[in-house]
Amino acid sequence: MPQNDKALLSRLKEQNVEFVIIGGVCGVLHGASLVTLDLDICCRFNRENLRRIEAAVKDLHPRHRLTVNKMPFELTDQLCNTLKNFYLNTDLGILDCLGEVSGIGGFEEVLQHSIPHNLSYGEFRMLNMDALIASKSATGREKDLAAIKLFLAIKERRDQQKEMF
Amino acid sequence: MIDAATLAQMNGEYVMPPDAGPAWRAAAEYGFDMSLIEDALRMTPEQRLEQHQRALDLVLEVKEAGEHYAAK
Repeated sequence: MPQNDKALLSRLKEQNVEFVIIGGVCGVLHGASLVTLDLDICCRFNRENLRRIEAAVKDLHPRHRLTVNKMPFELTDQLCNTLKNFYLNTDLGILDCLGEVSGIGGFEEVLQHSIPHNLSYGEFRMLNMDALIASKSATGREKDLAAIKLFLAIKERRDQQKEMF
Repeated sequence: MIDAATLAQMNGEYVMPPDAGPAWRAAAEYGFDMSLIEDALRMTPEQRLEQHQRALDLVLEVKEAGEHYAAK
């Protein structure tokens, strides 16, 4: 299964999905030397936005990767009202969509703690470093605690550079 | 004539930047290769993502090869 984050991000952008990049890819964008096998985003969980996500991945054979039968990702109005997260496998890799982020809050809070980044294929928002650290701290997982050491080092270096100019 | 310090660096010893703060030192001591972080911080976010994609492709290729080998 390939994982093509650029193609997934481009598709989300094309459909005007409201989202913020979180998780490992966010860490990579900040400068961490991590390899992460999925693309995690926090998105607004309303019907309109979920339908945009559906449109972005509909021809990629999306499936709920954590369901036993790998159920196809087919939204209904009822599902739009009840889903809080979904974890997809697609032909372009894994796309995990969360309605809230531990240590930060729901989409609005995540948006407030995000910063824009211009890539050649569009402007994307990602968690700022403090929020990324807070989100990783909230999980308490060993691998995240290790990553935090790296994030703190990057933050420290950035702060030092800011002081220089 | 190569001095001992240079030889150690050639052998992989990381030279801590003189202005390294406590968090930077802690991450290095934990075992992260901080030279990779120094390189990454010189890149644009897009270049970082492209580098990550190449690393990820390699990881998945090796994983697939391992699974193929195990299936034999």
